[in-house]
Amino acid sequence: MDKSGLLHGVWVFGDYRNYFQNRVTLQLIAKGRELAETLRTRVTVLLLGEAVHQYAMEYIAHGADIVMVAEHPDLRCYQVESYTNVVARWAEAFKPDILLGGATSFGREFFPRLAKRLKTGLSADCVRLEVDPDTGLLLQTTPAFGGNLLAEVVSSHRRPQMATIHPYVFKELPHKASAVGRVVYPEIEVKANTQVRVLRSRRQQARGGNLEDAQIVIVGGRGLGSREQFKLLFELAELLAGEVGATRPVVRAGWADEERLLGQTGKTVKPKLLISIGTSGALQYTTGINGAETIIAVNRDAHAPIFKMADLGLVGESSAVLPLLLETLRKRI
Amino acid sequence: MEFRESPISAHHNYLVNGMLAQGFVVGDPSSKDHFFFLADVVLQGETRPRISARLMDEDSHPLLELKVNRIGENPGKCSIESAFAGYRIRCSSGDVLIEVRTEAFANGYLTRIKARLFDEHGHLRVETRDESIWIHGEEYLFLAGPLPEGRAVRRK
Repeated sequence: MDKSGLLHGVWVFGDYRNYFQNRVTLQLIAKGRELAETLRTRVTVLLLGEAVHQYAMEYIAHGADIVMVAEHPDLRCYQVESYTNVVARWAEAFKPDILLGGATSFGREFFPRLAKRLKTGLSADCVRLEVDPDTGLLLQTTPAFGGNLLAEVVSSHRRPQMATIHPYVFKELPHKASAVGRVVYPEIEVKANTQVRVLRSRRQQARGGNLEDAQIVIVGGRGLGSREQFKLLFELAELLAGEVGATRPVVRAGWADEERLLGQTGKTVKPKLLISIGTSGALQYTTGINGAETIIAVNRDAHAPIFKMADLGLVGESSAVLPLLLETLRKRI
Repeated sequence: MEFRESPISAHHNYLVNGMLAQGFVVGDPSSKDHFFFLADVVLQGETRPRISARLMDEDSHPLLELKVNRIGENPGKCSIESAFAGYRIRCSSGDVLIEVRTEAFANGYLTRIKARLFDEHGHLRVETRDESIWIHGEEYLFLAGPLPEGRAVRRK
């Protein structure tokens, strides 16, 4: 029996850096499990690095059937060339049907390069994945044409069907200590990268706070008008014990760090309450806040798209509403 | 493409042949007087490894029997002592025969074994390299579940 046949199916790239905070791999394993059950196949997680035993066990506990491991000192730090070489060789040898990865800063560098190497397509920043019941093909829903519509992408011929997905679009499965699976160690050839040498790595202090796990999120858009107005959001967030997010125009204007960016190219949040101030509601932004339980929107344009998804809308100038809101809250809290 | 594989558990594994494995056996535990080494599957709720063995010295003399981490027959007058995160077994000469150390992760356990073991023919069967135990020869098996006592092991 050709055992490599067991390694077809759904592959998920295991991004274990900052494992206990960054849950996107676990979320993709959960979705991969659902897709694999529909397709009657298996979920395999790819794990590259050095001394990564703990993560292999975690991935099995969270729903993976197989963990495919490459352990090598030169894979200890992520380097796009060496990682691409290993995963491309595996994909060419074992021919997975589907390959999923997180739409993170890492994913945005790694997966397009891998797709090019494998001569297949890549649907970036997907917000939904389903299996077509008639064809068995992966339906990949992703914002298109500047985010003005959602496109359903199908890769009819090329394999693997590759997609990147935002963190928190899917929900991870709970840790199951009784889970069992298989670990596979294919042969690897790691060539030392002659162009890039990692001297040391240091963890960057997070500046976006704990945005993705926050129960209350205050988001500011360009409609706030100035950096000074945007700064008021931090005061509001402090009063409400929340976190501050931003839209792309705000980040571009330098009012907020990239770490606070929400939406298609930023983070996805699922708070209990989201207050969106001075945001029009462009699709690029709203794909990151779809999971919010309650949305309160403030905008001067009564026809702004944000009001279509808001539970409560307030039409008014942000510069007038925000100080009033702060004043009221300061008295009550 | 060639690959190696083994069954693993989310709860506890051993490091063997550079791989994770939830359990493995070298030799046949059902034999009466032959060498064997069994690192049995550790189920949820237990945190210690389950090591059983019949060990010989380089000249094929029996040293001791180990039954789930406890010394049984002990013609070699070996001794067991606690060690960091595990235990150590010494021969009467004072040399360390086996060292077992279990590392606790956030949600699971990994046991590393250091040993240099010989079978009844004086052949080297197990030794340690790079933090992992390595098995010599073909006669070993990865376990997909706990090994029932006295069950013969299929020879590879």
